[in-house]
Formats: sequence, structure tokens, C-alpha cells
Amino acid sequence: MSRTGLEARLSAILDERYHDRHPFNLRMHEGRLSREEIRTWVRNRYYYQTRIPIKDGLILGKAEDPEFRRSWIRRIHDHDDPRGGLERWLALARAVGLDAAEVASLRDVLPGVRRACDEYVEFVESHDLLESVAASLTELRAGGLMARRIAAFETHYPWVEREGLAYFESRTRQAPRDAEEGLAHVLEHARSEADAARCAAALERKCEILWALLDAVEWAGRRPRLAGRALLRDEPEPMVVLPERAVELNETGRHILGLCDGARGMAAIAREMRARHPDAESVERDSYAFLQAMEAVGVLES
Amino acid sequence: MSAAAPERPPRLYNLIAELTYRCPLGCPYCSNPVALGDFPEALAASAWVRVCREAAALGAVHVGLTGGEPTARRDLAEIVAGAAAAGLYTHLVTAGTPVGPDGLALLREAGLRSVQLSVQDAEAAASDALAGTACFDAKRALAGATRELGLPLTLNVVLHRHNLGRVRELVALARAWGAERLELANVQLHGWALRNRAALLPTRAQLREAAAVVEAERARGASPEIVFVLADYWSDRPKPCSGGWGRRQVVVTPDGRALPCHAAAELPLEFWRVTERSLGECWADAPGMNAFRGEAWMPEPCRSCPERGRDFGGCRCQAFALTGDAARTDPACRLAPDHERVREAREAAERDGTEADDAIAWVPRRVQP
Repeated sequence: MSRTGLEARLSAILDERYHDRHPFNLRMHEGRLSREEIRTWVRNRYYYQTRIPIKDGLILGKAEDPEFRRSWIRRIHDHDDPRGGLERWLALARAVGLDAAEVASLRDVLPGVRRACDEYVEFVESHDLLESVAASLTELRAGGLMARRIAAFETHYPWVEREGLAYFESRTRQAPRDAEEGLAHVLEHARSEADAARCAAALERKCEILWALLDAVEWAGRRPRLAGRALLRDEPEPMVVLPERAVELNETGRHILGLCDGARGMAAIAREMRARHPDAESVERDSYAFLQAMEAVGVLES
Repeated sequence: MSAAAPERPPRLYNLIAELTYRCPLGCPYCSNPVALGDFPEALAASAWVRVCREAAALGAVHVGLTGGEPTARRDLAEIVAGAAAAGLYTHLVTAGTPVGPDGLALLREAGLRSVQLSVQDAEAAASDALAGTACFDAKRALAGATRELGLPLTLNVVLHRHNLGRVRELVALARAWGAERLELANVQLHGWALRNRAALLPTRAQLREAAAVVEAERARGASPEIVFVLADYWSDRPKPCSGGWGRRQVVVTPDGRALPCHAAAELPLEFWRVTERSLGECWADAPGMNAFRGEAWMPEPCRSCPERGRDFGGCRCQAFALTGDAARTDPACRLAPDHERVREAREAAERDGTEADDAIAWVPRRVQP
């Protein structure tokens, strides 16, 4: 495949699958997200930010070319330096009303978000340099997305303090430069049809990961309630009964199901559990895992 | 946990209430006893409600209201209401008639929570032929009513050599009827089915193909959830005896006998009746109920088998039916000394092939004169 052929192919993948088309992003940019949803997104997307320097460190470890390494290492500085990407994201967290230390603790990261981001790191770990760089090419669209996002925040979410948008502003400059570098590498090193196919598959995979991240954030906004088929009993022990099966509940599980009233969102439920168990290390993670399991067996609907 | 000291009595989870053995259908694999006439209906609705309360006190969670055809009882709504008031999850197991959509609505109002509907095949003519009566349209109507009432629906099909080739169509039927769960249960060769074994036992090729179709349909990821109950004659491993003899469930027959399973009335054991004693006494202390609890009764090769905690030595009723001794290892097990009996039946099924099936008559289930 020619260089222009591959570039067009990668571009077509982004047209079709980049997460700017995800319903959550569409709602964000149309100004239809609640404060709660914005906060959930900011809190969770921080986990993605923390994976990026780790992913870039893995890429450095795959590169034989000193010039490539010298250039690529800039990305780690962009994220990790004082007033770099990670700090700017925490400034965004403060600007939307979150406790930056709590966000940085990562304890309230949704299981689906964690899974998606970890999959990205695992992808880079288990694939070669060419595919790893190809997976980063979602950056080709990141600059444009950031510009739209700044405008959307200024228009629709005036309650977010202006200095919180510094991350987006820095990315409007960094992303195009990073994308150009990544694209040049891919076009130069994808020499065969098979290489081109691997690059295309890597970019598709990355698009799926970003999409899954937002799916998980949307899930957190669902307001679960007990399904009509489910019977909750407290005697002789807490238990939820379904056709052909029954699930015994511990005290915590029973309490969580009691919070599933169709009015509270998943994230709100996890926060109530945190308030109830301030010292339990993994209470949010455990709450989300329980809520997902109850959804999967049909105890909860939303 | 030490096997020598089982919990006494075990916590009951499931009450199976066989309310009547009356049924408009005549399926040749019916799980009711062959001697149907020996089980008169001895419990009024109030007695069933008492049994439900006693079951709940023993820890029971579910009650399966079954038969026969439970909707043949005019007092069913009263029983449902009592069971629901006792805190049990009420599950109706029906062939779809005579209840009808209006009758189902009344049952739901009384506290019914879920429905299991049987079909005999994927289309009307074959299903009705096997049932021995025209009932497929009534089943379709009842499935529609179940969904409209917002009740979860399980479709149950007994699989055998005459319908194993239509698993794909059965899955499509379950989808079309809005079932969220499809039970494809390979025929258990007890009672009526054992009598009709030559007409029912499938070939290995039929089972393999059906299992492959189930896998493919599951891989599509769409509902319904498919439960595929293996054929023990062909799996070399015995099926666990209903979660263990007297371990999780109790069956109460129309005449009030409390049994560990549907088929146990045919064993030469002493079971007690809920007409004479409380369900708690029948469950904890009846000699028959205790005959095969735990592992002390087990012969070799079960006694030292690593699977004994999972399959409990297999089915006691099948051991009795095929060897005359309920305490022997289930002959379905490859390691059983009597495995020959199962192998011979399998070989006969293979030898006959499936072409000559029309020539093998079956005895429909009915009260014998």
C-alpha cells in the first residue's frame, strides 16, 4: 500500500470510530451533561492520563533508534513535568469541584475505565513499535476535539473555572505535533501490506478502547433499581431471589441494593458507600463490581 | 468440611409442589410416576399453603408449582397467594393449558413471579403429536400473556431423538416468544421415559450436533440464556442427584409424600407424608430422606472418587431402575460396575439409527386402567 493509501485508510478509521462520535462526547459538546456527569468523567479520565507516560515508557523501550527516543521522550516530560499534563488535569479536577487528592488516589476509578486503560498499556506491552505508534494516532483528531471542547466548556459550562481548561489548551498545541511525528514514523516503517494491516488494526483497537472508556463513564450515570423479577428478602438472611436462582447478600450488598431506588446514579451510590465506610480501602471498586454483577444476573435494571 | 458430619437437617432451598398429576398432555417422557393412579390429590389449598410456610421456615427460597398440570387445579390462585405470603418466590411450571391468559393474570395478581412453559417441539404439528393433543397454540398465547404481564419466561424442552435435530429452531422459537431463558434438557430415562427408552434415546451424532448448535447460538450473545442439560447415558459421567439427595430440595407429591426428587416414590424406601406430619419432620427424619444423605452409604468406586462431592454418586433412582439396588453406583458412570446396562442401550440406539424411528411406538403417559 502506498503512503497516501495507508494515511487515507487510517483517516477513514478515525472518521468512523474516533470517540468524538461517542454519545457521551456529543452530549458534552452540546452542553447536555450534568455537573455530576462532568465530574465523573474528569475523575475517571485522570486514570487514562496516568497510563499515558507508562505507555510512552514502554514505547521508548522498544525503539532502537536514538533519534526516535530523543524525540519521543518529550511526551513523558509533557505529562510528568511540573505544570505538565497530569498536574493540569488535576487543576481541571479542582475547577469542576473535585478534591484533587481524591482524584489522584484513583480509588474511585470505574472498573470499565480501569479495564479499558489497562488494555491500552497491555496492548503496547504485547505489540511491536510500529503497532504501538499506530495506536497512538488517535492524536490525529485530538487537537480538533480539544478546540471544540474548550469552546463547549466556555459556552455551556461556565461554572467550570477558566484556569481548569489549561490542559485542553496545551493539548491543542501538543497533539498535532505528536500526531505528525507518529504518523511520519508509521508511514515510513509500514513497508508491506501486512504492516499496513497491523497498523490499521492497532488504530481500530485504540479507538475501541477510548470508546469503552466513555461507555463505562456513561454506565456510572445510570440509575439502577430493583428489577421486577427480583425479590429482596431479609429473613432468615438477606437474599435476592430470581427465577431459578438466588443470591445471598452480606450486609454491604444488602445496603447497596437498598440504595438502588431509580433516583441515585451508580457513582452516587459508590459515594454513599464511601461515606459509610470512610476507612475501607476499595469501597468504590467493590461497590461498582457488586452493581455490575447484580446487573449481569438481572437483579438491577436502569 | 468433614463429610462424616453433614449439617442436620440440611438447609432447604427449593420446594417442588406437585399439586396434581392430572394433565391434558400425554408426553412419553413424563417425570411423574408410572403408577399415576396411586397418587390421589390429598391436599386442599389450605394444606399446600401450610406446607409452603413450613418450607419457608426450613429456609426455602423458591417454590415450583408443578404437576401434572398445576393449572388444572381451580384453587391454584389461593395456593399462589399463600406461597407468596410465606415469602417464597413463586414459579409456575406449566404446559400452557388450561390456564389461559386471563387465568395467568389472576395468578400474577395473587403473587406469581415467574413462568416456565414447556413445548414439545419447535412447530405445532410435531409438538402436538408428541403431546398427544392440540396445545401448541395455547402455549403461544400463554407465552405472549406472560410477557405482557411482565413476568420472566423460561421455555423448557425435553430433548430426545425425535427433536434433537431442531435445536436451532427451538432457539428461534424461544426468541420469537420472548423467553429470557431456554432449558434444553436431554431426556432423563426414568419412569415413563425408561419405558419408552427405545423411542427416545438419541444417537451420539445427534447429541454432538445439538451441542454444537447450542454453542453457536450462545456465541451470538443474544438472549435467551440457554441451559443445555447433558444426556447422562452419553456423557460417561453421572448427573448429580438433584443437588444431592435430601440436600437442597424437597418434592411433595399430590398425595402428600415428601421426597428428595420426582422419581423417588418408586424406590422401596419409607418416606413420610405432609398430611400426617410437618414438612420439617418429613425433611429431617424420614428414613427414606436420610437413606442417601452424606457419603457413608456410598459403595466403591464412589466412596474414594474425587467427584463424589460434585455428582453424589449420581442418580439413586436410575441405579434402582437399572440394577434393582438404589445403593449401587449410577450405571451412567463409566466407572460403575453396571455401566454395561447403559452401554447396551446406547449401542442399540446407534444400531437402530434414526431412519426407522416411526416404527418404534411409544406409550403415552396416562393413568393406566
